[in-house]
Amino acid sequence: MSRGLSPRLLGAIILTCWFGAAAVSAPQQWPTSSAPKPLPARSVDFPPYQLKTLANGLQTLVVLHHEQPSVSFRLLIRAGAMQEPEAKPGVASFVASLLNQGTTTKDAGQIATLVDSAGGVIAVGSGNELSYISGAVIKDQTDLMLGIASDIVQHPSFAPDEIDRQRRQMLSSLQVSYDDPDYLAGLVFDRLVFGFHPYGRPNEGTPESITKITRDDLVAFHKAWFVPNNSLLAIVGDLTADEAFAAAEKAFGSWAKRDVPVIKPIEPPPPTQRIVVVDRPGSAQTEIRVGHIGVPRTHPDYLPLDLAVRILGGEGANRLFGVLRSERGLTYGASAEFHTYKSSGDIVAETDTRSSATGQSLRLMVEEFWRLQRETVSQSELTGAQEFLAGNFPLTIESPAAIAQQVLAHLFYGLDLSEIETYRDRVVKATPADIQRVAKQFLKPDKLSIVLVGDASVFADQLKENGFGSFERIPLSQLDISSPTLKRSGSPPDGSRENHRQE
Amino acid sequence: MFRALALSGALCLLSGAPAPAPDTVIRPTKFDYTMTTLPNGLQVVFLEDHSTPIVHLAIWYHVGSKDERPGRTGFAHLFEHLMFKGSKNVRPDQHPSWITSVGGQANAFTDEDATVYWETVPAQYLPLGLWLEADRMASLDVSEAKFKTEREVVKEERRMRYENQPFGRLPEIIFDKAFTTHPYKHQTIGSMEDLEAASIADVRAFHDTYYVPNNATVALVGDFDTKQAKSLVEQYLGKVPKGNPVPRDIPMEPPHKAEARFTVSENWPLPAVVVSYHITRDGHPDAYPLHVLAKILSDGDSSRIYRALVYEKQMALAAFGEAKLIEHPNLFYAVAIVQPGRKPEEVQKELLAQLDRVKTEGVTAEELSRAKRQWARDYILGRETVQQKALHLAHAVVIHNDIKTADGEFDLFQNVTVADVQRVARTYFTPESRMLLTILPRGAAQGGTEPTR
Repeated sequence: MSRGLSPRLLGAIILTCWFGAAAVSAPQQWPTSSAPKPLPARSVDFPPYQLKTLANGLQTLVVLHHEQPSVSFRLLIRAGAMQEPEAKPGVASFVASLLNQGTTTKDAGQIATLVDSAGGVIAVGSGNELSYISGAVIKDQTDLMLGIASDIVQHPSFAPDEIDRQRRQMLSSLQVSYDDPDYLAGLVFDRLVFGFHPYGRPNEGTPESITKITRDDLVAFHKAWFVPNNSLLAIVGDLTADEAFAAAEKAFGSWAKRDVPVIKPIEPPPPTQRIVVVDRPGSAQTEIRVGHIGVPRTHPDYLPLDLAVRILGGEGANRLFGVLRSERGLTYGASAEFHTYKSSGDIVAETDTRSSATGQSLRLMVEEFWRLQRETVSQSELTGAQEFLAGNFPLTIESPAAIAQQVLAHLFYGLDLSEIETYRDRVVKATPADIQRVAKQFLKPDKLSIVLVGDASVFADQLKENGFGSFERIPLSQLDISSPTLKRSGSPPDGSRENHRQE
Repeated sequence: MFRALALSGALCLLSGAPAPAPDTVIRPTKFDYTMTTLPNGLQVVFLEDHSTPIVHLAIWYHVGSKDERPGRTGFAHLFEHLMFKGSKNVRPDQHPSWITSVGGQANAFTDEDATVYWETVPAQYLPLGLWLEADRMASLDVSEAKFKTEREVVKEERRMRYENQPFGRLPEIIFDKAFTTHPYKHQTIGSMEDLEAASIADVRAFHDTYYVPNNATVALVGDFDTKQAKSLVEQYLGKVPKGNPVPRDIPMEPPHKAEARFTVSENWPLPAVVVSYHITRDGHPDAYPLHVLAKILSDGDSSRIYRALVYEKQMALAAFGEAKLIEHPNLFYAVAIVQPGRKPEEVQKELLAQLDRVKTEGVTAEELSRAKRQWARDYILGRETVQQKALHLAHAVVIHNDIKTADGEFDLFQNVTVADVQRVARTYFTPESRMLLTILPRGAAQGGTEPTR
């Protein structure tokens, strides 16, 4: 029997299932009228892993898995948008995009040929507070792939022609993204919630910032942050622990240690009710985001708040999905997510719906924020979310990469590794009162950041009819994420805001 | 540091010469499956995998969008949604919530050839998964109201995936233009008009025709004892009565006699150009060299299309090609998204040149060896989870009608030669089977949507 899912509790689940089925069964009919009993449960523990810190400070995690003759790795560098110079959003992703585009000893084509010929795959990227190099390969080429990873993390050449090439790619990609409602909704939502805090800045930069970033900016960012004592390495797959640590040492042992700068980010702004409509005429749907600031990953109420957000819109119990999709057919997808980073986080509900249902969908979403705060959740609804999280545990340890991911996340946020093992115990202990306490404390239904991207001519009146009379309407062509008004300077005066504001 | 790097076993990294690819590829472990066919026609594949205490159950119905009648496009997929809307012993939407309440996951997907329902559950819940699948195979019972609500959901899915994002309609345009007759002409999502025209009577007829055990294949992979699992499958799915033979009257695409050229316009931020050729079906001996050719042209930053169009000439924001090898003959197609300031016609010409060059010059031994290792990598990394394993096993049974290909394909790929690759390019990349398609941002189109032949 696994820890965390006690035999008594398991018995309760089975009973629930039996009664659930009996209530709708028609005896003597096809095939059996009630759900079958489960087989005896298997015990399940978190698989073994090993940790070691190399002399240069590189924390290294090894997860062994011998089912397939492959090895994969993930190198995390603690540097992302958070570490960028304030006026240069996009530096971290620019640096990441250039890592595999040439080093001091190999050009981009040589790196590509080596990786592809080995039967390997390599990916580079960045996020709010990390950059990464990840890859996988058939196991006989492990040293080669780790050697390439080591070379590209230490010695990117930042060659001017490669910078030009990536800049063109990034600008064209942004041109496409600025026509993608899903991207735009996330962009504006992050900006509303986090203001000019780095989490509010677009990771991929803006057309203006990408145009301005210089080679010196890239070199300086890389030099400051890309050091082993600021990084984490995971190697997983078909090799022994000794082989894996030896391979790590061989590839990364000579990477020189260096102190990293200390940064003091500004505080995100306090939550404020603000509704922004990005007007994109001709849209087939409206993309909707609703939410506000949350908590950092290490917050003591992380777990109950995570459960609360799951009840709002996560697997196991998803009120938004029920209300918007199952009951009314207003959308294909409706969910709520709880994003937590090192120094803050957010709670966001999202959906997309036909333009003509925009006002109704938004009202229903906001109402669910209120309901979660107003009413204590029922025990059965909470149990649904708890049973999913506790019962889902064996599914989360199937692949070595998934195992490594959980350990890396704990190391990255500085969490106690024992929390992985105690997770199921802690999840099932939460009570409806715990959920209501955190809902009251952390949900702010009267201070929501709301973004709608779609054809405003169709739904502007609906917003008023549904109680959202005050909103800012920004034509897509006028959108400027770096402006406090979100509009380009020199754009026509904002008459729409006045027109729609309820006096 | 430089010295240390040299010592790191990658001297060839510093020489500047491409590393010689290893001659042999490690052979992944073969599947140790067993297969049976029940008296009601249900095919079942069992693969024990005791590495994690979970079970994946996939049930494939051999019906997809190519089985749809004119005026009912999108129905196979709409029907997939309805399979969650209640049966004799299971209330609407209860199936997925039941599975999540035991910590499992459940979902379904539809493509041109098949509709697949799956559950991954902690191992002890295998009986629950089988019972839920048996109940909806035997006794689906969807109300008119649920049908109408779910039809709206599917229409939203179409708006979200196809209509409201840049390049969302790209596949719809490509296949609509490339096919004249075969139902591969339409996308699995279907058209809004046809979705609107579907009725609850269609739902019942479709279930009676296609959702019968003699049209279904189960793949079970995970932590179970095969003997016990077999008796459980018999106990639940084995009791569903056999149906009538399933109709397979699908119109075939006639041979194309002349190159087709189209220019259309869409509300997209950048132009896209497409080159396509009609090819063969999955499982045909030519399918393997075609897959290898697609890898040489389009897998990785060293591949020909990426290298030429994106990296060297910088004429495309993205460019890729695919050999779409499915149950009936489909397309080899390549797409490039045109960089601002470049002419669509010059980009299309380059894309075409990359495909046609193979006919005259063939491919190199290095390229072939690289493609085989990439293919082996995908093969190995694509068989890690119970879900992935079930996908390969069921695909072999349903699409290849030959379970042995689930393992045997590894060798078929490794045996492909340079001559094979050039031969398939010469066989299929003919002017008559070619389509050249240009999609311009709205307002920039010249010549409307009429084909110019």
